[in-house]
Amino acid sequence: MKRFRAIRELSTVAILIAEILFFAWYLWPEAGRAHPFLNAENALLILKYSSIYGIAAVGAAVVIISGGIDLAPGAVIALSGVVSGYLIVVQQWSIAPSMIAGLLIGVLSGLLTSLLIVNIKLPPFIATLGVMGITRGIAFIITEGQYYDVSGRLPPGWHPLGIPIDWLAPITMFVMALIFQVLMTRFQWGRAVFSIGGNETAALFSGIAIGRVKASVYVISGLLASLAGIVLVLVQGQGKADLATGYELDIIASAVVGGASLAGGRGSVMGAVLGTLIFGVLRNALPQIPGATFYDRLIVGLVVIVIVVMDQLLLKRGK
Amino acid sequence: MGLQFDRIHKSFGAVNALRGVTFDVADGEAHAIVGENGAGKSTLLKILAGLVRADSGEIKWQDRTFAPSSPRDAIEHGIGMVYQEMLCFPNLSVSANIFCGREICRYGKLDESAMRARTQAVLDRLSLKIDPDAPAESLSAAHRQLLQVARALTFDCRVLVLDEPTTSLTDAEADHLFDVLRALRKAGTTILYVSHRLPEVFRLCDRITVLRDGQYVGTYNTAEVQTSDIVKAMVGRDIRARSEARRSTEARSTEATLQLTRLSRLPVVREVSLSVGRGEIVGIFGLVGSGRSELLETIFGLHQPTSGSIALDGNTVSFRSPRDAARAGIVLVPEERHRQGLWFNFDLRNNLAIPGSTLKDDLLVRADVECRDAERTLGEWRIKASGIDAPPDSLSGGNQQKVVVAKWVSTRPRVLLLDEPTKGVDVGAKFEIHELIRKQAAEGMAVLVVSSDLPEILALADRILVMKEGALQGELDAATATEETVMHLATHDEVTA
Repeated sequence: MKRFRAIRELSTVAILIAEILFFAWYLWPEAGRAHPFLNAENALLILKYSSIYGIAAVGAAVVIISGGIDLAPGAVIALSGVVSGYLIVVQQWSIAPSMIAGLLIGVLSGLLTSLLIVNIKLPPFIATLGVMGITRGIAFIITEGQYYDVSGRLPPGWHPLGIPIDWLAPITMFVMALIFQVLMTRFQWGRAVFSIGGNETAALFSGIAIGRVKASVYVISGLLASLAGIVLVLVQGQGKADLATGYELDIIASAVVGGASLAGGRGSVMGAVLGTLIFGVLRNALPQIPGATFYDRLIVGLVVIVIVVMDQLLLKRGK
Repeated sequence: MGLQFDRIHKSFGAVNALRGVTFDVADGEAHAIVGENGAGKSTLLKILAGLVRADSGEIKWQDRTFAPSSPRDAIEHGIGMVYQEMLCFPNLSVSANIFCGREICRYGKLDESAMRARTQAVLDRLSLKIDPDAPAESLSAAHRQLLQVARALTFDCRVLVLDEPTTSLTDAEADHLFDVLRALRKAGTTILYVSHRLPEVFRLCDRITVLRDGQYVGTYNTAEVQTSDIVKAMVGRDIRARSEARRSTEARSTEATLQLTRLSRLPVVREVSLSVGRGEIVGIFGLVGSGRSELLETIFGLHQPTSGSIALDGNTVSFRSPRDAARAGIVLVPEERHRQGLWFNFDLRNNLAIPGSTLKDDLLVRADVECRDAERTLGEWRIKASGIDAPPDSLSGGNQQKVVVAKWVSTRPRVLLLDEPTKGVDVGAKFEIHELIRKQAAEGMAVLVVSSDLPEILALADRILVMKEGALQGELDAATATEETVMHLATHDEVTA
């Protein structure tokens, strides 16, 4: 099984590389002109915007491996972005406490989700659908359709912790991915998440504290979504209620493309991050192909299906 | 004539469920099929109902070969099934339940009034006072059972097959069901009645066919035999594979490790008092529906008792979850290894390590220690696998079962609860599992094993308790108990202590 997991992650990397090679070849410019896709600036751009999805996808992967689903990340990104934007711009708070308040929003929404799923025993789909509505709704109530111009309040040439602002999102994503990869593979907690997703009844019969582990999973998903929200606001310079609309499905798709099974018990955090990069490259490169502008959604949908079907074939062969 | 079973064979994997069963059922008779759990009754019914196909042999129905390809096919040939699990749609009305799948239509639309009228007619015939429009969930258990009879009758069934229909009925409800069945038989319907409750069988049926271990034993005229003859035919092994090497009694002591005092979880477990001493193996024999699994699950903290108490080493304990119980040293090896025991997304090493490492509250997964322990367990338990990284579905049933037992035993519990520890396991693995359980007891573990497998209980237990309808019926000393005395306690109404 371990061997298979390694193969699975390598195959996601292989898809990513193949995709990059394809666009590099397809968009190869005429002699003397700069490559529109294959340049450092564009690579950073892809990383920067994929990372917002990627940070939240780390949480989504954990939730999906536990056998659940979280539809709230997009809305939590927006609410935490709005709250920290509001505190910075309207309340004139400094940046650090505003960010902490934003993270608190994620924790609170995760706690609410856990309460609904663990204590009230709602199915995760319904519980998180509700939390998605609530968080997005609060974001609209706070902003009343306005947006907060955070960029004006950031010091010029601001380097949080010495990191250039463009690198903030990718570095946050890789750090989170690394932390949770280790937690999921080397810690008892991670194995408990896999065991609940693989067979919840067996987990119950084996003395695993199912309620606690499940609660932790949704709190982590909320926390990571709010982290993504704060990073998004800092990078983009704007806090508004319709941030990250529809991200939840792209985030789930990334985790699935990265090897997570919606049936639970299978998947990896690194895979989910690679999945967001696969989508990031598509979103970046497709609009550059003349005439493909209107095809990008269609192609993204096809890619999800093709990759997951390939994954299932690979799994069957492995058995 | 009638319904003939001719040399029916069926195996599931390595398990031979039916081995050449041949008998016939005459038109218009009430015919019982009895046997212990695993005798092949259910498999035979499933073949008749079109749910599974026989490997070989054939069924003749009115002298024509009958091999239903689906439940619908069987119904269309006049075979009506009343299942034990009461298949009904609680959200639909009585008449919708009756006509589900074969709705009456007019001009492509459902003809509600025709269906209601026919439902009313069949309910009248069964003298049931039920509103055809009432939702099925508003009916009592007995009425739901009769709803299935009504459903079969609306499809002009000529053979009505009932599988343990009284399991969840009260005596009065069962009486009503029997009245209905007798009336039907008088009107010419053939009744095939499967049960392990012998008094019922004797009340209702003309003839009794006994199956044992997938084989046909005999068919008897009810008028000519006694209950004891049937019990003998059901269990009828000559040699009891009583463990040749009885365990030494050194490790045993009289003080109770586990003590239950009038423990109830109504309505399934009623006032059970028992004790298991250090090094002792106590067996509970009970048939399906006797409350045996629920008793173990209540001890293990999966359900809360409604009254009574559990004591461990003389101290009263109460567990809110299996986690609590396992931490206190009481563990349960559950009945269904696929659903309750194994992770198919993990390899053997993880499967074996999880309960132990979880209970220790380790922060990190200690892969090196776990690998070493898993290697040792595979050797000690003689688990045949390609290695500790093999997925559990690559193992045979017996080896899977060893993994489930081993993962709990390796946590060194004080009390080991076992629910059907060798269900669906081949003879060799069964013997090995028994040996390993005895070894644990010899080292001082208190073992409470629940089984509906008579030879297993007799071979394993020091004392045998018989459970029926949630309560203990009596206790037998394993040294003197026989399959007949145990079965007698488990099937009879009167208590003979």
